[in-house]
Amino acid sequence: MDGHSAVVAVAATKDRSISAALATATCALLGNSIPAAVEAQEEPKWDFNTSLLYYGEDENRVQDLSLKAIIRRMFVDDRSLTVSLTLDSLTGATPSGAIRQDVPQTFTRPSGNAAYEVPVGVLPLDDTFKDTRVALTGNWQQPVGDTSLINVGISASKEYDYFHLGLNGRFAKDFNKRNTTFSAGISIAQDEFDSVGGVPIPFTSMLDVGDTSNRPEASRDKDVLDVVLGLTQVISRSLVVQANYSYSSESGYLNNPYKVLSIVDGTTGDTIARTNPGPLLGPSHEFVFESRPDDRVKHSLYTQAKVFLGGKVLDTSYRYMTDDWDIESHTLDVRYRWPLSDRLYVEPHLRWYSQTEADFYRLSLVDGAPLPAFASSDYRLGAFDAITAGLKFGWKTANQNDMSIRLEWYQQAGSIPGEQLIGNQASRDNYPDLNALIVQFSYRFKL
Amino acid sequence: MKTATVALLLLVGGCSSMGVEPWERDILAKEEMQLTTDAAEGATDDHIYFSKEASSGGRAFGGGGCGCN
Repeated sequence: MDGHSAVVAVAATKDRSISAALATATCALLGNSIPAAVEAQEEPKWDFNTSLLYYGEDENRVQDLSLKAIIRRMFVDDRSLTVSLTLDSLTGATPSGAIRQDVPQTFTRPSGNAAYEVPVGVLPLDDTFKDTRVALTGNWQQPVGDTSLINVGISASKEYDYFHLGLNGRFAKDFNKRNTTFSAGISIAQDEFDSVGGVPIPFTSMLDVGDTSNRPEASRDKDVLDVVLGLTQVISRSLVVQANYSYSSESGYLNNPYKVLSIVDGTTGDTIARTNPGPLLGPSHEFVFESRPDDRVKHSLYTQAKVFLGGKVLDTSYRYMTDDWDIESHTLDVRYRWPLSDRLYVEPHLRWYSQTEADFYRLSLVDGAPLPAFASSDYRLGAFDAITAGLKFGWKTANQNDMSIRLEWYQQAGSIPGEQLIGNQASRDNYPDLNALIVQFSYRFKL
Repeated sequence: MKTATVALLLLVGGCSSMGVEPWERDILAKEEMQLTTDAAEGATDDHIYFSKEASSGGRAFGGGGCGCN
């Protein structure tokens, strides 16, 4: 045996041992017996799906540079292992939840170690937002019998102030000459918020620099359970449709520990200045940390249709979501893949999204009035519409690999319920509208 | 519950008369006709919209795993 064959043989043995070990692990999880060893029928293959993304919001808000690799290793008998790695580098500023004022405002930074000032009439943004996120997933998939397959996986991600760990499993079975597929999936996760400077007690005031007396705990957890039931149906040679029902339940710490609300005068709507600021650096006005319920249940229905129209492909999906925070949303997504030659295509994309506000969404809280049970001014819990418009160019390289680049614009425009606007607030631009640019370059190759 | 079961049976029953024969799958087998054509793009979009909107998931699991300020 020459050196090269030895390396190949070792690699093949290693592959088989990895494959066998994973199969054993999967079967152990499923309570099945271990299948007999299967000799290699064909060369194993690798599929690399890589991308580089730039996501940038205007007005120096969030900027993200993200690198992603989804690597799939195919084994004999349609078994495969998929591993994905994502690296995000985030910088920029994000709305703190406080409202604009006709005077400058000072805020204590989330760390509690310093303060920052927001000029007259400017939307308060917390500009200390800087994070690196690493996310890893691993999934093993294999057929079960002739018409079913099972997929089990693990996911984990880490940011400076956040840790996520999850397990997931999915079972799919084909019926009716493989024209109908029923699938059921479940995912459980536990996430931990290690908030910078400690987790603030909801509805307590933003305190002076160095005062952490309202942050007794360093971290808080939440548990997430997701269940997805899906039906895929081939209608004709050129039409396939899918419908999914999803149930999602979150419980535990669901606040954002950095978001605050302004405490305002019930007549003027202006934020109350602190009467006794004290000798230390600290907030100029009264702000309190938000308070959300400690559970949330979401239901959503997703439908998708994909139709082949003489070489072009129209991909349309619609999602309806409702939850017990009284948020309802509609999402319509349309893509049209248009081949320009055998190797080149262009794909316009339009997405329309609309949501109602959570029942505890408040622009501000009135000084002296009884506190509601919950309140948050996080713009993502407010009522808004969003549009994404994009264009993607894709091409096959000479060695049959896929490359694509897409450019998209994402725009959010929100509105505050009229009855929440008090005094001077009515003449201010209160909703932090968002404009973002998305550029993604993808390269997919197989070995 | 009874109504839901009947609806599901009708749906599955209705589905059994639809579809194609195995030799008619030339178009459905094309890469661009798969329900998910670009996994990296799909995962990226799910993460962006999870971070910026109150809804998530639908196509797959709800996603998450970020503090997402």
